[in-house]
Amino acid sequence: MTKHVELPVHLRKIAHVFVDESMQDSPIARRVRKQLIGTTLENIPWTTVSPDSDRVEFDEGDAQALYLKEYKGKFLRFCPGTRAYHCCGYRIIHIGENCPMACSYCILQAYFQDRILKIWANQDDLFKELGDGFGADPNTRYRVGTGEFTDSLALEHLTGYSHDLVSFLNDYDNVVLELKSKAVDLSWMQATKRTDRVLPAWSLNAPIINEQEEFDVSTLTERLEAARTCAQAGFRVCLHFDPVIHYPGWRTGYAEIIDQIFEYVKPEDIAYMSIGSFRCMPQLTPIIANNFPDTNYIYNEFVPGLDGKARLLRPLRVEQFSFMVDRLRSHGMDKQLYFCMESTEVWQEVFGYSPSDFGGLGKRLMAQAFGE
Amino acid sequence: MQLSKEIITASADSIDDTGSHLFWRSNANESLSESINEFGQAAPILASKSDTGFKLIAGYSRLSALRQTNQLVLVRMVLDADDRDMGLLYLADNAHRPLDDGMRLAALRYFQPISDDKTLKTDILPRLGIKPKSKDAKLLLSWLDMPDNWQAHLAAGDVPLAACTPLNRMSDQDRLAVEPLFAGFSWSRSNAVNVLTWLFETSKMTLKPIADILQQSGMTNILQQGLSPKDAIARLCAAAKTARYPELSSLQNRFDRAATGITAGTRWRMVQPDNFETGGAELIIQVKNETQLKKAVEDLEIMAGVPTWREIWTLGGKND
Ligand code: SF4
Repeated sequence: MTKHVELPVHLRKIAHVFVDESMQDSPIARRVRKQLIGTTLENIPWTTVSPDSDRVEFDEGDAQALYLKEYKGKFLRFCPGTRAYHCCGYRIIHIGENCPMACSYCILQAYFQDRILKIWANQDDLFKELGDGFGADPNTRYRVGTGEFTDSLALEHLTGYSHDLVSFLNDYDNVVLELKSKAVDLSWMQATKRTDRVLPAWSLNAPIINEQEEFDVSTLTERLEAARTCAQAGFRVCLHFDPVIHYPGWRTGYAEIIDQIFEYVKPEDIAYMSIGSFRCMPQLTPIIANNFPDTNYIYNEFVPGLDGKARLLRPLRVEQFSFMVDRLRSHGMDKQLYFCMESTEVWQEVFGYSPSDFGGLGKRLMAQAFGE
Repeated sequence: MQLSKEIITASADSIDDTGSHLFWRSNANESLSESINEFGQAAPILASKSDTGFKLIAGYSRLSALRQTNQLVLVRMVLDADDRDMGLLYLADNAHRPLDDGMRLAALRYFQPISDDKTLKTDILPRLGIKPKSKDAKLLLSWLDMPDNWQAHLAAGDVPLAACTPLNRMSDQDRLAVEPLFAGFSWSRSNAVNVLTWLFETSKMTLKPIADILQQSGMTNILQQGLSPKDAIARLCAAAKTARYPELSSLQNRFDRAATGITAGTRWRMVQPDNFETGGAELIIQVKNETQLKKAVEDLEIMAGVPTWREIWTLGGKND
């Protein structure tokens, strides 16, 4: 009897593959088939979705389905920032929806109530749209990422999506791609021609948050080891503290992970690092309470912010941010630090300056992404 | 199940009126007794034959009025009624009665052991005036899982229907701790839900049992002060909110003090518009004529010179 190998832990709940009829022979579908051979998921059912069916139904408890879909919408989008807070001005390449991992704070729970992991399999259409956009003016620079409605690398092992994207973007000097993830998969590295046009990125958090609030994800050490591997290969990396959680003992937890970072990478290996306090649409809180009954951080002094999202009361945010920024500065970090969706007041209080003092956050991050 | 066409008479004492399907039993009120005395029994009660005589199916108040005056009872017989039929006949016979949530719960408690969930939802609830998909339907069904003492509080009108949601999330120990809040006061829906939610969330936030929070927030003390229900509820609500939002409450108190200092003696009002996301303040005034407008401008100019503004603008900031 052949011995089946296990897939990475975050992919083991996949129990069914759906594929649009038009996508059956797509490179993505072929790759998924190939990657499943010899694994414990080799024999999971594949269902072809005919063009006239308007939706796929899948409800098998904890199990997940992978849906390789022909996507008809726009692939290149703007980050949905708001005017009340400083947005980083990042552009999103939309490659799919939903995530096989489970973090208690994840906004995707409010967006997608099913357990279907969608991947836009019509990469030719994606590349055509990106080519038209990025190729129109080589002097216009773009800082783009894929991790808005999914994790950039969660399905990489099966789909090789980022590998293909990196390979495609090799021809566009005016684009820097950030691959933001909580998984560790560095297979995309083989496709890169320029190490200065891809920014591998990992989210970090206090160890206890990683242990108690993030499920089926890599450990913090695995992420930092991966960051070190990338730095050694000549890439600069991004690290993100988002969401920063206010829990009893947060000082110890965040001090620990901040100190740990610099055992793996040097400040100059880090292109930029964001810090963002936990914030959410008010509808997300009861969803978190329902999906993660042991989660306590949602019970804190959250108030409606200027964008209508629930945010931790400003003095509590500032206290956490100041602590973290001081600690990061003591390790040599400074101008790479920025806040994700924060107000001028908070920037001033913590950093002593605000984005308007340096021409706007988007502009600064663009320069940092391009290594200036 | 069938109803007989004939009406018979029976002595009140031969009719057993202890059946559990008489879930809204209440003694005859004065007007019913008077009407029976004046006109006699206008509508027969419903009963079925039992080993010892009759078993009352519906008409408890009429029976008790007739029993008081030793009168014979007009009975219409019910044949072949099972528990469900008896409950439904009782409901139908009482269809004219205005219902409260306690009565609805009592009916649901009767039908629950003899119905599946779907029947309870789609058949029984509509007979109680509740749409099966409504929020109240969900709440009423959740009350069925609450301990008996809490169901008794709902029946007594001490606690509103919506309180079930926060109560359901609490441990037995926490529910026990909040029970005194509902002994003796009649809470509005929003106050009850807010206070219970704040207490539950504070307990999660501080990792302390609710009994400790009641003590530390002064709520236990408020209960013992013999205040009027209105004052007690207002103070309990304020104390629970302060326990849930200690920093915000402290900022708000300081803001209010500073604002009062600035606007004292004027018709201006000052509010913090954005939960301290900014250090801003909003000044509000209503003017109805030129004189008031002139005075408002003069007051504003005087107010602008008050040093307390600095405190308003830095509240919640790092150098606060
Ligand atoms: S890894 Fe990212 S996308 Fe996936 S569940 Fe966690 S927060 Fe959401």
